[in-house]
Amino acid sequence: MATVSAASVRFASLKPASRSNQANGVTSGVMFVTIGTSKLGFPSLRSSRFRVHCAAKPETVNKVIDIVKKQLALSDDTSLTPESKFSSLGADSLDTVEIVMCLEEEFDISVDEDNSQNITTVQEAADLIEKLVLQKAEAD
Amino acid sequence: MASRTKLSGLQRQVLGLYREFLRAARLKEPEERLRIESIVSAEFRQNAMNVDRKNFLYIEYLLRRGKKQLEQLKSPDTLRLSTLEVGKTPQ
Repeated sequence: MATVSAASVRFASLKPASRSNQANGVTSGVMFVTIGTSKLGFPSLRSSRFRVHCAAKPETVNKVIDIVKKQLALSDDTSLTPESKFSSLGADSLDTVEIVMCLEEEFDISVDEDNSQNITTVQEAADLIEKLVLQKAEAD
Repeated sequence: MASRTKLSGLQRQVLGLYREFLRAARLKEPEERLRIESIVSAEFRQNAMNVDRKNFLYIEYLLRRGKKQLEQLKSPDTLRLSTLEVGKTPQ
């Protein structure tokens, strides 16, 4: 329990830091954090982990949209929404790999294989990116 | 997230290999990198179009060959990648 509360304190202290540094844009997308505790009868496996639910920021979503457009060679006036599915834009699985690689470079993160195959929409990509950027900030 | 049709193990391996190739290309000079990416992408797309998805033996062979080629590409001594087409007579 001590470690869990320490982690959430760290979260709280991270938040204002990223506000003051907008260019960095790290963590302000955090909406709430759920912590599984063994006290409440959750499986004890969960107690060491905590999950973060993010709603990706508009700027991340826009950046993702730009990259997707560039990668799929879509014209500028194609309207893309966060709910757009890559497959409905004409992307096959190889295109999806390319998009993910491009996103990795752009945001300086590394997406592992399992996650990269779960990405089917712009929103999912943006959420995952925010999560990974957050994890990276935590690790530093 | 479950909306996506599940990929087979072989498909995942192919996509994984493609990722590794693109990753390896990042280590090269920018100009060569573009060239490598276009060659690799053309190769994968061509095979995706032309190879029957049930031809497991051939796909496995291509995977093995690809892994060998990837090893060579990863070496820092490898600077560029080139292709030639056999059997095409010049016009």
